[in-house]
Amino acid sequence: MMDLLLPALLGGLKLSAKLILIIVPLVTLFEVLRYLPVFRRAGNVVEPMMRGVGLTRDAAIPLFTGIFLGIAYGAGIIIRVAQQKGLPARELFLMGLFLATCHSVIEDILIFVVIGGNGLAILVVRLGLAVFLTGLMSRVWKPA
Amino acid sequence: MSGPGTSAAAEESIPDIPTRIRTGLSAGFRTSLKIIKVSVPLYVAVTLLKGTPFLDLLGKVFAPVMGIFGLPGEAAFAFVAAFLLNLYAAIAVIVPLHLTPFQVTQCGLMMGVAHNLVVEGGVLSTTGARGGVLTLCRLVIACAAGLLLRGLWSLWEIAFSWAMALPGIS
Repeated sequence: MMDLLLPALLGGLKLSAKLILIIVPLVTLFEVLRYLPVFRRAGNVVEPMMRGVGLTRDAAIPLFTGIFLGIAYGAGIIIRVAQQKGLPARELFLMGLFLATCHSVIEDILIFVVIGGNGLAILVVRLGLAVFLTGLMSRVWKPA
Repeated sequence: MSGPGTSAAAEESIPDIPTRIRTGLSAGFRTSLKIIKVSVPLYVAVTLLKGTPFLDLLGKVFAPVMGIFGLPGEAAFAFVAAFLLNLYAAIAVIVPLHLTPFQVTQCGLMMGVAHNLVVEGGVLSTTGARGGVLTLCRLVIACAAGLLLRGLWSLWEIAFSWAMALPGIS
Protein backbone atom coordinates (compact mmCIF):
# COMPACT_ATOMS: atom_id res chain seq x y z
CA MET A 1 0.00 0.00 0.00
CA MET A 2 2.76 2.44 0.98
CA ASP A 3 4.61 1.94 -2.30
CA LEU A 4 1.44 3.01 -4.13
CA LEU A 5 0.51 5.84 -1.82
CA LEU A 6 3.86 7.60 -1.73
CA PRO A 7 4.26 8.22 -5.49
CA ALA A 8 0.61 9.31 -5.64
CA LEU A 9 1.14 11.79 -2.82
CA LEU A 10 4.31 13.06 -4.46
CA GLY A 11 2.53 13.42 -7.80
CA GLY A 12 -0.29 15.39 -6.17
CA LEU A 13 2.16 17.72 -4.45
CA LYS A 14 4.13 18.22 -7.66
CA LEU A 15 0.96 19.13 -9.54
CA SER A 16 -0.05 21.57 -6.80
CA ALA A 17 3.41 23.15 -6.88
CA LYS A 18 3.14 23.65 -10.65
CA LEU A 19 -0.26 25.31 -10.33
CA ILE A 20 0.87 27.50 -7.44
CA LEU A 21 3.94 28.65 -9.38
CA ILE A 22 1.59 29.88 -12.10
CA ILE A 23 -1.09 31.42 -9.91
CA VAL A 24 0.86 33.40 -7.30
CA PRO A 25 2.97 35.48 -9.75
CA LEU A 26 -0.10 35.96 -11.98
CA VAL A 27 -2.33 37.29 -9.21
CA THR A 28 0.46 39.52 -7.84
CA LEU A 29 1.25 40.93 -11.28
CA PHE A 30 -2.41 41.63 -11.90
CA GLU A 31 -2.78 43.38 -8.56
CA VAL A 32 0.23 45.61 -9.37
CA LEU A 33 -0.87 46.46 -12.91
CA ARG A 34 -4.62 46.86 -12.49
CA TYR A 35 -4.50 50.51 -11.41
CA LEU A 36 -2.40 51.67 -14.37
CA PRO A 37 -4.01 54.51 -16.35
CA VAL A 38 -3.80 52.36 -19.49
CA PHE A 39 -6.40 50.00 -18.07
CA ARG A 40 -8.63 52.83 -16.90
CA ARG A 41 -8.63 54.33 -20.36
CA ALA A 42 -9.18 50.97 -22.03
CA GLY A 43 -12.92 51.62 -21.73
CA ASN A 44 -12.74 54.11 -24.62
CA VAL A 45 -10.98 51.64 -26.89
CA VAL A 46 -13.35 48.76 -26.29
CA GLU A 47 -16.56 50.81 -26.43
CA PRO A 48 -17.26 50.16 -30.13
CA MET A 49 -16.66 46.45 -29.60
CA MET A 50 -18.98 46.40 -26.63
CA ARG A 51 -21.73 48.09 -28.61
CA GLY A 52 -21.53 45.16 -31.02
CA VAL A 53 -22.68 42.81 -28.28
CA GLY A 54 -25.33 45.20 -26.93
CA LEU A 55 -23.40 46.59 -23.95
CA THR A 56 -22.66 50.19 -22.96
CA ARG A 57 -19.50 51.50 -21.34
CA ASP A 58 -21.15 51.33 -17.92
CA ALA A 59 -20.67 47.57 -18.14
CA ALA A 60 -16.98 47.84 -19.12
CA ILE A 61 -15.45 47.54 -15.66
CA PRO A 62 -17.49 44.54 -14.46
CA LEU A 63 -17.16 42.89 -17.87
CA PHE A 64 -13.39 43.12 -18.08
CA THR A 65 -12.95 42.27 -14.41
CA GLY A 66 -14.88 39.08 -15.09
CA ILE A 67 -13.03 38.26 -18.30
CA PHE A 68 -9.59 38.58 -16.71
CA LEU A 69 -10.20 37.87 -13.02
CA GLY A 70 -13.09 35.46 -13.01
CA ILE A 71 -16.52 35.57 -11.48
CA ALA A 72 -15.71 34.36 -7.97
CA TYR A 73 -12.55 36.47 -7.50
CA GLY A 74 -13.98 39.52 -9.26
CA ALA A 75 -17.34 39.20 -7.50
CA GLY A 76 -16.80 42.26 -5.30
CA ILE A 77 -16.16 44.59 -8.22
CA ILE A 78 -18.87 43.07 -10.43
CA ILE A 79 -21.60 43.37 -7.79
CA ARG A 80 -20.56 46.86 -6.62
CA VAL A 81 -20.37 48.43 -10.08
CA ALA A 82 -23.55 46.70 -11.27
CA GLN A 83 -25.46 48.24 -8.37
CA GLN A 84 -23.73 51.66 -8.51
CA LYS A 85 -24.47 52.10 -12.18
CA GLY A 86 -27.92 50.61 -11.93
CA LEU A 87 -27.39 48.56 -15.06
CA PRO A 88 -30.68 47.65 -16.76
CA ALA A 89 -31.84 44.04 -16.73
CA ARG A 90 -31.03 43.62 -20.41
CA GLU A 91 -27.40 44.61 -19.95
CA LEU A 92 -27.05 42.47 -16.85
CA PHE A 93 -28.30 39.49 -18.79
CA LEU A 94 -26.01 40.12 -21.77
CA MET A 95 -23.02 40.68 -19.48
CA GLY A 96 -23.87 37.51 -17.56
CA LEU A 97 -24.13 35.54 -20.78
CA PHE A 98 -20.79 36.84 -22.03
CA LEU A 99 -19.08 36.12 -18.72
CA ALA A 100 -20.66 32.69 -18.41
CA THR A 101 -18.94 31.70 -21.65
CA CYS A 102 -15.75 33.67 -21.28
CA HIS A 103 -14.36 34.48 -17.84
CA SER A 104 -11.12 34.16 -15.92
CA VAL A 105 -9.43 33.42 -19.24
CA ILE A 106 -5.79 33.90 -18.25
CA GLU A 107 -5.76 31.72 -15.15
CA ASP A 108 -8.12 29.03 -16.46
CA ILE A 109 -6.24 28.62 -19.71
CA LEU A 110 -2.74 28.70 -18.21
CA ILE A 111 -3.46 25.89 -15.76
CA PHE A 112 -4.68 23.69 -18.60
CA VAL A 113 -1.65 24.58 -20.72
CA VAL A 114 0.51 23.42 -17.81
CA ILE A 115 -1.01 19.94 -18.04
CA GLY A 116 -0.71 19.72 -21.84
CA GLY A 117 -3.75 21.47 -23.32
CA ASN A 118 -3.84 23.84 -26.30
CA GLY A 119 -4.44 27.31 -24.85
CA LEU A 120 -5.04 29.07 -28.14
CA ALA A 121 -7.80 26.63 -29.11
CA ILE A 122 -9.54 27.17 -25.76
CA LEU A 123 -9.29 30.96 -26.02
CA VAL A 124 -10.49 31.17 -29.61
CA VAL A 125 -13.54 28.96 -29.04
CA ARG A 126 -14.54 30.66 -25.77
CA LEU A 127 -14.12 34.22 -27.02
CA GLY A 128 -15.74 33.46 -30.38
CA LEU A 129 -18.71 31.73 -28.80
CA ALA A 130 -19.14 34.52 -26.22
CA VAL A 131 -19.19 37.25 -28.88
CA PHE A 132 -21.50 35.21 -31.11
CA LEU A 133 -24.02 34.33 -28.40
CA THR A 134 -24.11 37.77 -26.78
CA GLY A 135 -24.34 39.49 -30.16
CA LEU A 136 -27.18 37.17 -31.14
CA MET A 137 -29.12 37.70 -27.91
CA SER A 138 -28.68 41.49 -28.07
CA ARG A 139 -30.52 41.39 -31.39
CA VAL A 140 -33.22 39.07 -30.06
CA TRP A 141 -33.78 41.17 -26.91
CA LYS A 142 -34.10 44.71 -28.30
CA PRO A 143 -33.37 47.66 -25.95
CA ALA A 144 -36.54 49.18 -24.53
CA MET B 1 -9.89 61.41 -20.12
CA SER B 2 -12.65 61.60 -17.58
CA GLY B 3 -15.71 60.21 -19.26
CA PRO B 4 -18.63 58.80 -17.31
CA GLY B 5 -17.13 55.30 -17.56
CA THR B 6 -13.96 56.18 -15.64
CA SER B 7 -15.75 57.76 -12.68
CA ALA B 8 -16.39 54.45 -10.91
CA ALA B 9 -12.72 53.52 -11.20
CA ALA B 10 -11.66 56.90 -9.83
CA GLU B 11 -13.85 56.46 -6.76
CA GLU B 12 -11.67 53.69 -5.33
CA SER B 13 -8.41 55.02 -3.93
CA ILE B 14 -5.20 53.66 -5.43
CA PRO B 15 -2.99 51.74 -2.98
CA ASP B 16 0.81 52.07 -3.30
CA ILE B 17 2.92 49.39 -4.96
CA PRO B 18 4.07 47.51 -1.79
CA THR B 19 0.45 47.27 -0.62
CA ARG B 20 -0.58 45.94 -4.01
CA ILE B 21 2.18 43.32 -3.96
CA ARG B 22 1.09 42.29 -0.47
CA THR B 23 -2.55 42.07 -1.59
CA GLY B 24 -1.55 39.98 -4.59
CA LEU B 25 0.69 37.65 -2.60
CA SER B 26 -1.89 37.08 0.11
CA ALA B 27 -4.58 36.38 -2.50
CA GLY B 28 -2.15 33.99 -4.19
CA PHE B 29 -1.38 32.35 -0.86
CA ARG B 30 -5.07 31.79 -0.12
CA THR B 31 -5.54 30.26 -3.56
CA SER B 32 -2.49 28.05 -3.01
CA LEU B 33 -3.94 26.65 0.21
CA LYS B 34 -7.17 25.95 -1.64
CA ILE B 35 -5.24 24.20 -4.44
CA ILE B 36 -3.32 21.93 -2.05
CA LYS B 37 -6.38 21.13 0.06
CA VAL B 38 -8.38 20.04 -2.99
CA SER B 39 -5.81 18.78 -5.50
CA VAL B 40 -3.63 16.50 -3.38
CA PRO B 41 -6.43 14.29 -1.94
CA LEU B 42 -8.20 14.05 -5.31
CA TYR B 43 -4.99 13.26 -7.19
CA VAL B 44 -4.14 10.51 -4.70
CA ALA B 45 -7.70 9.12 -4.80
CA VAL B 46 -7.81 8.91 -8.60
CA THR B 47 -4.30 7.45 -8.82
CA LEU B 48 -5.23 4.70 -6.37
CA LEU B 49 -8.64 4.07 -7.95
CA LYS B 50 -7.27 3.90 -11.48
CA GLY B 51 -7.45 0.37 -12.83
CA THR B 52 -9.83 -0.75 -10.09
CA PRO B 53 -13.27 -2.12 -11.10
CA PHE B 54 -14.88 0.98 -9.58
CA LEU B 55 -13.34 3.50 -11.96
CA ASP B 56 -13.66 1.10 -14.90
CA LEU B 57 -17.38 0.74 -14.20
CA LEU B 58 -17.82 4.50 -13.85
CA GLY B 59 -15.99 4.89 -17.15
CA LYS B 60 -18.25 2.40 -18.93
CA VAL B 61 -21.43 4.04 -17.63
CA PHE B 62 -20.44 7.50 -18.84
CA ALA B 63 -18.61 6.45 -22.00
CA PRO B 64 -21.60 7.13 -24.32
CA VAL B 65 -22.09 10.71 -23.02
CA MET B 66 -18.41 11.60 -22.82
CA GLY B 67 -17.82 10.00 -26.21
CA ILE B 68 -19.93 12.71 -27.85
CA PHE B 69 -17.17 15.17 -26.97
CA GLY B 70 -14.31 12.82 -27.79
CA LEU B 71 -13.61 12.08 -24.14
CA PRO B 72 -13.22 8.77 -22.28
CA GLY B 73 -15.94 7.81 -19.77
CA GLU B 74 -13.61 8.32 -16.81
CA ALA B 75 -13.54 12.03 -17.60
CA ALA B 76 -17.05 12.25 -16.11
CA PHE B 77 -15.41 12.15 -12.69
CA ALA B 78 -13.39 15.26 -13.61
CA PHE B 79 -16.59 17.02 -14.69
CA VAL B 80 -18.24 16.32 -11.34
CA ALA B 81 -15.18 17.81 -9.61
CA ALA B 82 -15.29 20.87 -11.89
CA PHE B 83 -19.04 21.50 -11.50
CA LEU B 84 -19.15 21.17 -7.72
CA LEU B 85 -15.68 22.43 -6.77
CA ASN B 86 -13.27 24.19 -9.11
CA LEU B 87 -10.79 23.71 -11.92
CA TYR B 88 -7.93 22.71 -9.62
CA ALA B 89 -10.01 19.79 -8.42
CA ALA B 90 -10.78 18.85 -12.02
CA ILE B 91 -7.10 19.03 -13.00
CA ALA B 92 -6.16 16.79 -10.09
CA VAL B 93 -8.55 14.21 -11.57
CA ILE B 94 -7.47 14.72 -15.18
CA VAL B 95 -3.71 14.30 -14.76
CA PRO B 96 -3.74 10.72 -13.38
CA LEU B 97 -6.11 9.70 -16.21
CA HIS B 98 -3.38 10.41 -18.82
CA LEU B 99 -5.56 12.02 -21.49
CA THR B 100 -4.42 13.04 -24.99
CA PRO B 101 -3.64 16.72 -25.74
CA PHE B 102 -7.00 17.08 -27.49
CA GLN B 103 -8.83 15.61 -24.51
CA VAL B 104 -7.04 17.92 -22.08
CA THR B 105 -7.92 20.89 -24.31
CA GLN B 106 -11.53 19.73 -24.51
CA CYS B 107 -11.75 19.46 -20.72
CA GLY B 108 -10.16 22.89 -20.33
CA LEU B 109 -12.69 24.43 -22.70
CA MET B 110 -15.86 22.80 -21.40
CA MET B 111 -14.90 23.10 -17.74
CA GLY B 112 -13.71 26.66 -18.28
CA VAL B 113 -17.28 27.55 -19.22
CA ALA B 114 -19.01 25.45 -16.55
CA HIS B 115 -17.30 25.13 -13.17
CA ASN B 116 -17.82 26.08 -9.55
CA LEU B 117 -21.52 26.31 -10.41
CA VAL B 118 -22.77 26.56 -6.84
CA VAL B 119 -20.66 29.56 -5.78
CA GLU B 120 -20.64 31.43 -9.08
CA GLY B 121 -24.37 30.91 -9.59
CA GLY B 122 -24.84 32.75 -6.32
CA VAL B 123 -22.60 35.65 -7.39
CA LEU B 124 -24.36 36.04 -10.72
CA SER B 125 -27.80 36.14 -9.10
CA THR B 126 -26.79 38.94 -6.70
CA THR B 127 -26.15 41.24 -9.67
CA GLY B 128 -29.85 40.93 -10.43
CA ALA B 129 -29.37 38.49 -13.29
CA ARG B 130 -31.15 35.15 -13.01
CA GLY B 131 -28.57 32.85 -11.40
CA GLY B 132 -30.39 29.61 -12.08
CA VAL B 133 -31.02 30.42 -15.72
CA LEU B 134 -27.39 31.42 -16.24
CA THR B 135 -26.14 28.20 -14.63
CA LEU B 136 -28.31 26.20 -17.02
CA CYS B 137 -26.99 28.37 -19.88
CA ARG B 138 -23.41 27.57 -18.85
CA LEU B 139 -24.05 23.83 -19.05
CA VAL B 140 -25.65 24.19 -22.49
CA ILE B 141 -22.87 26.51 -23.70
CA ALA B 142 -20.23 24.10 -22.40
CA CYS B 143 -21.77 21.31 -24.49
CA ALA B 144 -21.98 23.58 -27.55
CA ALA B 145 -18.36 24.63 -27.10
CA GLY B 146 -17.32 20.99 -26.76
CA LEU B 147 -19.02 20.02 -30.01
CA LEU B 148 -17.56 23.07 -31.76
CA LEU B 149 -14.01 22.27 -30.63
CA ARG B 150 -14.36 18.63 -31.63
CA GLY B 151 -15.44 19.67 -35.14
CA LEU B 152 -12.74 22.33 -35.48
CA TRP B 153 -10.06 19.98 -34.19
CA SER B 154 -10.88 17.25 -36.71
CA LEU B 155 -11.00 19.81 -39.54
CA TRP B 156 -7.59 21.05 -38.42
CA GLU B 157 -6.20 17.51 -38.34
CA ILE B 158 -7.55 16.74 -41.81
CA ALA B 159 -6.10 19.97 -43.21
CA PHE B 160 -2.81 19.26 -41.48
CA SER B 161 -2.53 15.72 -42.86
CA TRP B 162 -3.34 17.01 -46.36
CA ALA B 163 -0.69 19.68 -46.06
CA MET B 164 1.86 17.12 -44.92
CA ALA B 165 0.96 14.89 -47.87
CA LEU B 166 1.71 17.65 -50.36
CA PRO B 167 4.90 17.09 -52.33
CA GLY B 168 7.82 19.19 -51.19
CA ILE B 169 6.84 19.25 -47.49
CA SER B 170 8.41 16.65 -45.31
